[in-house]
Order: sequence, then C-alpha cells, then structure tokens
Amino acid sequence: MILAKIALGIVSTLFVAGVYVLREGVMRLEVDDYHGNGSHVHVWVPAAAVPIALHLAPKQKLAHAIQEIGPWLPTANVLVQELEKFPNADLIDILDGENHIQIRTSDGKLQIDVREPDQTVHLRLPLLGLEDLTSELEAMHAASETSEFLAPDLK
Amino acid sequence: MSNLNWNLYERTGLLTIAVLVVTPLITPGMPAGRRTGSNQTSKSAAPDRWLHIRVVNSDSKGETVRVNVPLELAEKVLPTINKERLQHGKVKIDQARLNDVDLHSLMDAIHSAKDGEYVTVLGADQDLRVAKQGGQLLVHVLDKSGNHKSKNSQVEIKMPMNVVDALFSAGKDELDIVAALHALSTQGDTELVSVKDKDNTVRIWLDSKNLTE
Repeated sequence: MILAKIALGIVSTLFVAGVYVLREGVMRLEVDDYHGNGSHVHVWVPAAAVPIALHLAPKQKLAHAIQEIGPWLPTANVLVQELEKFPNADLIDILDGENHIQIRTSDGKLQIDVREPDQTVHLRLPLLGLEDLTSELEAMHAASETSEFLAPDLK
Repeated sequence: MSNLNWNLYERTGLLTIAVLVVTPLITPGMPAGRRTGSNQTSKSAAPDRWLHIRVVNSDSKGETVRVNVPLELAEKVLPTINKERLQHGKVKIDQARLNDVDLHSLMDAIHSAKDGEYVTVLGADQDLRVAKQGGQLLVHVLDKSGNHKSKNSQVEIKMPMNVVDALFSAGKDELDIVAALHALSTQGDTELVSVKDKDNTVRIWLDSKNLTE
C-alpha cells in the first residue's frame, strides 16, 4: 500500500514535470554540412532546462556575456513578447540564387532556416521558453548592475 | 481493489484532466485566443496591420527579399532601441545636413495649404512632382538618364498627411518614428513606396495580411 502511494507520487511528479517541459517546448538546432564527409549536428534541448542551465553556468563567463548583450536584452524581451501575439507569420524571406533564409513563427515557435548548397541550418525556438530566457538574462543583467551578480574584477 | 485506492485513482485522474485542460489557459504571456490559429484577427478586435517590404532583383540570380512586420510589434520594439541617433523611438535630425531648411515650417506650410501640385520640375534627365491630394503627400520622380525608356527609373511615394504630421510631432530636431507608425496603423490598405528601375523593383505597402502576396 505504501509502495503504491510512493509510486503514484513519483508518477504524478514525473507527469507534472512532463507537462511543464511540454508547455515550455523544446529548442531544436540542426546543422547539416555536406562538405566532404559532412557533419550532422542535431541538438534537442527542453526550453525549461535553459534557465536552470544558466544558474549552473560559470558565473564569471556568464557575467561577461551578459554585459556584452545587456543593452539589447530589453529589446529582445519585448520582441519575443510581441512575437507571441503572432504565432504563425512569415517575417523575413531572402532568396538569393541557391541560398535561402527564412525567419518566421510557426505554432508559437520562432523558426530560422538557412539553406545553402553545402549547408543547412534549422533552428526552432519556442517563444514561451525564449521569453523565460530573456527575462532571466534581463534579471541577471539588472543584478549585475547592483553588484549582486558580478565578480568584483568585472565591475 | 479497496474503495480508498479507487477514490485515490479517481481523484488523480480528475486532477490530470484538470491540469491538461487548464494548462493552455494559464500560459503566461500568450493570450489563449492567439495560441492556435494563423489568423490573429478575432471578430471583436481590430485586424493587425502589417508593413510589407519586397525587393526583387531581376538579374540572373533573381534575388528576392521579403519582409513582413506587424506595426504593433514595431511600435513596441522601436522605443527599446537606443543607439546613436535613434533614441526612444525618435530620430535626431542633423541640422547641418539640411542646409538650414526648417523642416517643421515646411511641413506646417504643406499641411495648411490646399490640395494641389507644389513642385513640378520637368528636366531632360529627371522629372519631379510633389503634390498634396486627398489627404496624402505624393512624390513622383522619373529618372530619364537611361538610354532606353525601359531603363528609366521611377519612384512613387504616397504618404498619408496624418502620418507626416505624426512624424514631425516631436521636438524641432526630431522625427517621431513610433508616432508615425501608430498613425500608419489607422490607415487602410495602401501602397506607400514603389521604386522601379531596370534591375530592381521595391515595394512598401500596408495591409492586414501576415503573408507576402
């Protein structure tokens, strides 16, 4: 009886975690290089894991990166929030001979596709997860301004 | 199976269904009505206005650039960009480059004047027409320097006067881009800029479609 309750608790926790991960979506990066032997890099990361990974990243390096992109974070955050209002839209389409670049939103994901004769790159970023990421980075940048985040030598 | 266990499973099942139903509704930052469909216009809300830019190069590679921007998005994002002359959605005008022309006075004069053609220059190489008609400022330039008629360049600009007014509504040395975008969002479907020459075609227009035609 106790074992059944424990099992039920674990299953419920996994289920709720699963729902949370599904809600945040999955970030996908696919890079296919057709040069010579070629390389194929396909990365799938749950968007929910990214803010957690930010807290685990080396603070010194992260601080430097946040300082670099800091001025653009409010723009990125507003852009993502606004893009969420347009879940299916073609935003940019550049066709130049055999090269094709497309940036669009599809089913609440930001899609960036680059097709060249010798390489293709596909990036899928769930807007909801992206908003959490930009908000998290913005909070970190704000904290860095008030010396809560940065190491003294970077101030 | 005891009644206690059965009640527990029943409650868990109900909770699961409740979570599945409620989760899409409580998703922050994304209005439920906008999550599913490609058409963002609801029956009660005003349709979204889109600014479209299309550049087509007719050379052998046939380069094409299509940009579609929701005006609402541009209105919200522009004020967050503070870089060089662009500050809080306003662009500083460099007076040195205007050769002492007072743009605000010029626009006031055009605004208060009646409809008509203000500037007409018919030259050997170029024709220029500036006119105000039906609440719109019209600029037409025809560059005839090409050897053949088909190689002539043509520029047509059609700007609603309330957009021009909004653009100059900021301080003396500023252009208020956000105010102009807001004024533009109240306009109906219209073509704003059209440029044609032997190699390129550029079109900028406004409508309610989120896809390039």
